[in-house]
Amino acid sequence: MADSKESAANKAALKLTNDIRNMTNYKNFYNQVQRLVASPVVKREDFKNTLIDALKNNGLETELRNTVFHLARSHSSALTSTEYPASTTEADLAYLRKAQIQWERRIQKSLNSMCNELNVPLARIRPSADRDELADKWNELSTYDIDLSQYRPLYAPKDFLDVLFAVRDPTYRKQPGEPGWEFGHIQIRVKTLMQLVKPFKANLFHSLIITHVSISFKFSLFKKQRSFYAELSQGVPLLGVNPSMIVLGNYSNLEVERTHLGEKVLASNHAPIAQEFLKRGSPRELRGRLWSLVLGTVIKDSDAEYYEELKGMVLQYDIMVDKLIIKDVQLTASNDDQYFVFEDVLYKTMLCFSRDSEVLAPVTTDRSAGGQVIHAVLQGKLATLENTLVFPPSGVIPFHGFTMYATPFCYLYDDPCSMYYAFRAFYLRYWFRLHTVSSHEQGIVALCLLFERLLQCHEPQLWAHFRNIHIQPVKVVFKWLMRGFSGHLPPEQLLYLWDLILGYDSLEIVPLLAVTILSFRKENLLQVNTLHNVEAVLADLSSLKVMPLLQLVLLKE
Amino acid sequence: MANAATDGKRPLNSNLSTIYGRVPTVGADKMKVTFCTDMDKSVIVYNFEKRGWTQVGPEDDWNFYWAVTQSCRTIFSVETGYRMGDNQTINHFPNHYELTRKDLLVKNIKRYRKDLEREGSPLAERGDGPGKYLHLDFIPVTFVLPADYNMFVEEYRKSPQSTWIMKPCGKSQGAGIFLINKLSKLKKWSREARNPFNPNLTKESYVISRYQSLIQLQYRINTISILHYRYIDNPLLIGGKKFDLRLYVLITSFRPLKAYLFKLGFCRFCTVKYDTSIQELDNMYVHLTNVSVQKHGDEYNSLHGGKLSVQNLRLYLESTRGKAVTEKLFANISWCIVHSLKAVAPVMANDRHCFECYGYDIIIDNKLKPWLIEVNASPSLTSTTVNDRILKYKLIDNIVSVVLPPDGVPDVRWNKCPSPEAMGNFELLLDEELAAQEERENATGKCRGSSSKWK
Repeated sequence: MADSKESAANKAALKLTNDIRNMTNYKNFYNQVQRLVASPVVKREDFKNTLIDALKNNGLETELRNTVFHLARSHSSALTSTEYPASTTEADLAYLRKAQIQWERRIQKSLNSMCNELNVPLARIRPSADRDELADKWNELSTYDIDLSQYRPLYAPKDFLDVLFAVRDPTYRKQPGEPGWEFGHIQIRVKTLMQLVKPFKANLFHSLIITHVSISFKFSLFKKQRSFYAELSQGVPLLGVNPSMIVLGNYSNLEVERTHLGEKVLASNHAPIAQEFLKRGSPRELRGRLWSLVLGTVIKDSDAEYYEELKGMVLQYDIMVDKLIIKDVQLTASNDDQYFVFEDVLYKTMLCFSRDSEVLAPVTTDRSAGGQVIHAVLQGKLATLENTLVFPPSGVIPFHGFTMYATPFCYLYDDPCSMYYAFRAFYLRYWFRLHTVSSHEQGIVALCLLFERLLQCHEPQLWAHFRNIHIQPVKVVFKWLMRGFSGHLPPEQLLYLWDLILGYDSLEIVPLLAVTILSFRKENLLQVNTLHNVEAVLADLSSLKVMPLLQLVLLKE
Repeated sequence: MANAATDGKRPLNSNLSTIYGRVPTVGADKMKVTFCTDMDKSVIVYNFEKRGWTQVGPEDDWNFYWAVTQSCRTIFSVETGYRMGDNQTINHFPNHYELTRKDLLVKNIKRYRKDLEREGSPLAERGDGPGKYLHLDFIPVTFVLPADYNMFVEEYRKSPQSTWIMKPCGKSQGAGIFLINKLSKLKKWSREARNPFNPNLTKESYVISRYQSLIQLQYRINTISILHYRYIDNPLLIGGKKFDLRLYVLITSFRPLKAYLFKLGFCRFCTVKYDTSIQELDNMYVHLTNVSVQKHGDEYNSLHGGKLSVQNLRLYLESTRGKAVTEKLFANISWCIVHSLKAVAPVMANDRHCFECYGYDIIIDNKLKPWLIEVNASPSLTSTTVNDRILKYKLIDNIVSVVLPPDGVPDVRWNKCPSPEAMGNFELLLDEELAAQEERENATGKCRGSSSKWK
């Protein structure tokens, strides 16, 4: 047993070493180590120890630790699936994968038919006049005037929810009297939350081993949530509740204390510590830097260069998705009183994102992806390999509201490049699972399931009310879940919520908040009985305070 | 301040026989409040009716008059001979224009600086360069035309590449504003307007202030040190867009000064991009952020109206620039409001029937220094968006609860110290009376008065 553990660790270490070698920044990193070795601090007599000390002293060791941390996080699903070979449950969930493949094909078909209808090519070389105009207006794309009246979003959250509702487990036998619309029949494995009660250890290899156990929802989930979200449930002081709360010690209030501590965390440069820090909410002025540290998006020269390359790709190729992106920014951020100011940054960000082929691999090879990719041949060119591109290069086809995944970052970063990488990392870590059908425990299906179960367990009266008035509870919260509440909560509150997503490295807080809001507005919800009125009760979330609400509900149990 | 009425606490059941004037006396406890307004704004009427007030005409007996400045002027004019009773209140001071007419504001602030300097106040400390003040430098270099024409020409010749903004005095909401970048244009305009700059001939005066664009800023960095030229040549941009700040300030008394700041202000954004090229000068929408001007532009968005809340501005600034500098900015904004008020306080007719809600327009430069652009006596109550309507509804509601005594009936004998609950979204900027009181109480000098940081 011990042997197999060791060999697994060895295997993981080998894989990591390989991954690090393949990183774009590896050469730079290697050069730095070489320079260190050549410096007098490293002694030939005691090479190993002096080198390790030197690495520690100049911060390279921390860099390396952070690199391993980020690699381990992004590869955890791939690694665990080799360690834990597909169980029977996995095989049983093949219908979800099938649903995703069908969904991807449907989107692609719809994209093609829009092209035919409008008589525009999927992709072409951008005509030089257009290229010049775009380059000219790169920083003010709101003045880039093109007629988009014929374009419409390919789908909206509502359409995707219909797809989810239509998913059926072929082996599932409906019990008499059971409503047909629950997600309950989908046997998704969920990470047991109990196992994460133990404080997150700085030992990075530890985080590689995440066990999966299928969970039955027959008993209280809040109990599990409570132990997972230990900081929230034990009543420790959180930012976002009352920043001027008096604290013990030498600090005048909680915010001052948290800021002081946060600065130390940033100085340490350890990503896992920063992640831990976020669990209690970040002070505004440190949030951008803390998020970059946790997400591994502290900008290096090579990142800035790559960002410029993406811009070059936008200028070089005119792809049909560009119009959909611009249309989406117009329909969402440009009309939003919290985000309209940032529309120009968002046009740039979203256009560059569509060209980012580094996004392609993670989103298409993840086990939650259907892996359907379209290839487009440039208009007027021979169908040869060099005239063919993956369409869009990122592999992500935007839908109505896609921009909202990026908008909150505008409040954190002035520099479009920093903003881009933070958004991209967040998307690759969390958001892409919110618009795919999958059995992933962070995927939208699992989150919907979690929402329904939490509601049923803890607000049975509401649950019954929804059933009596024939409204699926998921229907009224789905837009919140699918956007991670972006555009629904005021920016400040949203950023606290996303602090928690990063801090606990989990999207489960999103359905938990959704249940909490319904619970908070229970009295009003019980008095209405049409979908329209239910939505009216839940339309305005501007008065909600995320941290106190979550703390309240987790403390209560 | 020796004002007998403020010292005595209002007796609980005031003897109505002492009430002077035409106000009907309907029972001591439940006096029916009447209001009058000559602004056809639903936000006003709705607010008053919700309080159970009845609307009457200006000729009738009113308790609360929400007037346009013109009708206010009529009421206070000597010819009318109208005398207000103790239970009447009106929303303007007789000479409110001391603050809102750009020429008078400039004059008052200049005089205020000189007075402070004469007293040897540290506030009046000089900065580098002639005419520069270290602390009291919060309005852009401004000349009143035609009176200051020669001084303007002198300043203009020092930096002929500057752009200047012309605003007619006594007009608000962006009316009549235009930009000038050549002296010849100004002369041409004055000829065409048949309005030669002869102080004896013109009735209307203009203020002209320096209005530089970014290109010129860069030019200046390259040529001379710009540190001595602290104009708004480098406005703070958010998302590449220029904006100004609209804040509401409520004054219930000028002597002693009692001023409140409405926390729900907003930023008004240009809906067209800030363009630095001189050819764009004719596109005046680029430079003017007054929504009433903006609305004529094509790209006006009716969902957000180009308005971002001050809370979100704070979030953005604290996140990207840091908390300390953001707090300093907001402290400086309060500072500049308080001193503009102190500058006019000596000349104001401090009528106890009056209160006033001023709309302050402030531009922030990219070093996070606020500049006072102008003050409006009749800030627009037209709602452009849903949020705007909510905000303006709250504004009127909170104003009424601050200016009225706890029993909700206007009374000049009330000491004008609203309870914290009555303040709603207003926060106290300064109450000189309370501050003096606290000073007396804390004569030992142990703790600083909390009523104001801006004494």
